[in-house]
Amino acid sequence: MKGARAWMAVLAATLLLAPLLAERGTLNDLWNVAFAVVLASAWNLLGGFAGQISLGYSAFVGIGAYTTVLLADAGWNPWLTLPVAAALAVLFSVVVGLPTFRLRGPYFSIATIGVGEAVRVIASGMEFTGGSSGLRMPSADFHFLSNYYGMAVLALLTVGVMAYVRGQAFGLALSAIRQDIDAAEALGIPSTRYKLLAHALSAALVGTAGGLFAMNFQYISPGSVFDFRLSLSIVLMPIVGGIGTLVGPVLGAVLFSYLQIKLLASPTLRDSYLFIYGGLLMLVMLFEPHGMVGLWERLVQLGRRAGRPVAGAPRGG
Amino acid sequence: MAAERILEVQGLGKRFGGLVALDGVSFHVDKGSIFSVIGPNGAGKTTLFSCLVGSQRPTTGSILFKGRELAGLRNDQVVELGLVRTHQIVRPFRDMTVADNVAVGSLFGSRHRRGADARVRVAAVLERAGLAARAGALARTLSIGDLKRLEIARALATEPDVLCLDEVMGGLNPSEIEGAMQLIRDIRASGVTVLMIEHHVHAVLGVSDRVLVLNFGKTIAEGPPQAALRDPAVVAAYLGDEAGGAAA
Amino acid sequence: MERLASVLLSSVLSAGLYATMAYGLAVIYGVMRIINLAHAGLMMLAAYVTLALNTRFGLDPFLSLLVVAPLFFCFGVLLDLTLIRRLPQGGNAPSMQSLLLLFGLWLVLQNLAYVVWGGDTQAILTPYTMSSVPLLGERYGVPLLLVFGVSVLSLLGLNFMLRRSFLGRAIRAVTQNRDAALLSGVNAARISAVAFGLGTAFAAIAGTMLSTLYAFTPDFGRSFLLKAFCIIVLGGLESFTGVAIGALVLALIENLMAAYTSIPTSFQDAISFSLLVLVLVVAPTGLPALFRSFSRRAVAR
Repeated sequence: MKGARAWMAVLAATLLLAPLLAERGTLNDLWNVAFAVVLASAWNLLGGFAGQISLGYSAFVGIGAYTTVLLADAGWNPWLTLPVAAALAVLFSVVVGLPTFRLRGPYFSIATIGVGEAVRVIASGMEFTGGSSGLRMPSADFHFLSNYYGMAVLALLTVGVMAYVRGQAFGLALSAIRQDIDAAEALGIPSTRYKLLAHALSAALVGTAGGLFAMNFQYISPGSVFDFRLSLSIVLMPIVGGIGTLVGPVLGAVLFSYLQIKLLASPTLRDSYLFIYGGLLMLVMLFEPHGMVGLWERLVQLGRRAGRPVAGAPRGG
Repeated sequence: MAAERILEVQGLGKRFGGLVALDGVSFHVDKGSIFSVIGPNGAGKTTLFSCLVGSQRPTTGSILFKGRELAGLRNDQVVELGLVRTHQIVRPFRDMTVADNVAVGSLFGSRHRRGADARVRVAAVLERAGLAARAGALARTLSIGDLKRLEIARALATEPDVLCLDEVMGGLNPSEIEGAMQLIRDIRASGVTVLMIEHHVHAVLGVSDRVLVLNFGKTIAEGPPQAALRDPAVVAAYLGDEAGGAAA
Repeated sequence: MERLASVLLSSVLSAGLYATMAYGLAVIYGVMRIINLAHAGLMMLAAYVTLALNTRFGLDPFLSLLVVAPLFFCFGVLLDLTLIRRLPQGGNAPSMQSLLLLFGLWLVLQNLAYVVWGGDTQAILTPYTMSSVPLLGERYGVPLLLVFGVSVLSLLGLNFMLRRSFLGRAIRAVTQNRDAALLSGVNAARISAVAFGLGTAFAAIAGTMLSTLYAFTPDFGRSFLLKAFCIIVLGGLESFTGVAIGALVLALIENLMAAYTSIPTSFQDAISFSLLVLVLVVAPTGLPALFRSFSRRAVAR
């Protein structure tokens, strides 16, 4: 736990102090890291803490992004659209969650692919989304730096919320639901209500990030914000980093943002990103279901064991 | 003075497709008593518990608990009203500490969760169940005897009026069984009504006030233990069970 | 009336393909309790292999099934031996770990196709691709009819194999009562390998047939995976007939929607996906179970 706190301090210092030292290019990369941290950590609340693996999270990014663009188009101040973006994402999370949370394990996951795909198909066919050609933010003066701080604060807020939830009764309930949902209900946990709450909280954070995404890129289309590949990376980051942990999703987010930057820079790598994503996922599932965090803990334990005198050494705890 | 009926079950039935698991079962439990449900494998005992607490929805019948209808309520709502069960095959949260396992019951199942400090109540329950020394251990590291205690401790932490124990003595050795019986007597002495399922008849004889015997989902006898066990239908069911091997 | 007849005929024709597609998922789920998310990737890969055989050797796509099906059977067995066997086994509930492992495999297969064949849309053209025959006042493409014929043949062949051969009977036994079959000494490892091989082979048969009907890219197959999943949930997993019924129900709904409602075709898939969610929620144990226990209100919680 102490380790986690130190990691978070490093993250906070990097994100908040960077604008004083770094230039625009680096800040762009850091914006991407912060965006990824929000998505990965927020997903981890439902997927990691509560064990409900959703493969349809791009829907929340898309709903947030479209809310911001459409309201800004109607003359709203983009910043004021963010609470609405969050609220609509929450609404959608409840609409989707009410039926699908009756399903368990892989059935829930499959259903979320269905929901995500249905949303993408519908969004591509609707008038107001601009169809497959997408929509543009109204040209207004845009300050990258304020958007950057917005995303950085949202990322830190997300991680902070996760750390807080973990220590609360709410976090204990989610953990119980993940480990044995029948036993959790038999001890008085209203599981559907808590799953809906976790879904809603994480949807609010992801929806807000979607709004900031639209402000930053000024242009969105169903292909960019409702894409299955986006859902995919949202799942992969926390799983590769270490599902259910605090630090894991952040590590995963940093790793994937770094990969993405490398991928964009090199055409050969760009053509093999699915090898990397799929390969990482397979490696994690085959060898270390707790991802980078699990690997790290194993290394620490190995180190400890190696550092001890062999004779009479008790088993490492 | 007639004892107060804390639980009154009328015509309870449960079907799974074509299979009738419970067929019009009726009984009542007096407040502060120990009531046992016995019967051969597949008699419907566990289904009965599942229907009582709401983890399964009964097909027919009513369950009055402290005068309130339970049929149709969710498991968590039933627990909040004060009726809780344990599982025959223990279901601990393996990646949680023993104390956190108990805290789940205390924080979510108990009506007094906003009252006294949760940590104090958890410590008290652990003490009572003889698990205080293992409070910080992960549940996955516990022995089967301790896991059975944990299963009971978690349920007790919800501060129930009625505690339903599903074969807590299965798989225990004779000295552990003696300990479990003592724990059950203590629980009753603290004012909690105990409803227990036992596969082994003689384990319950000593502690039960009344016994319900089920076979193929039907009541075949109900009453004080000695009388119920002498009932010809009960004798036939058990002899038939032994002669014909495990039914269902 | 004529319109209804043609809707019914179209439904039956697409149901054949749907059943083949779904059976690959069902046999793996039935024996191993694994949801094969790589199914879509395997269908896609088979489409490309068919394309390669067609362009390289001029092999007719339907004839190429004789190569593709055995090839993918071996590939499936290999996947089981190298990957799936490494996961913790057992349990009657499908595990998240296997789902995600196969999800990873799907991505790797997509990338493989992308590297070998590029990202452009591909299609297989045969002399009969554009020809059609009149049936009940509508014209039906020859490939569609051939696909139906091949589907029926391969499903009948499989059914024969499952009923007559020892391995086939073992597969059915494990599907119907897993614990009892495993306790009575069925060789679980061998059955799993064969089941995964069979599932993969059926994914490949479906993929080859899809390649004669649709254009494809490495991203191909996702919507068909969801449909296949919808079918096995609809039909229940216990039986062969269940899968066939599920396929027919889905095909009927799609064709009826297309014929009698004004929902634009671009939304068709959204309907299938929503149907999937609906079916999962309303009848998670399948339509047969739903019919059997009409009075039962409790959905498996």
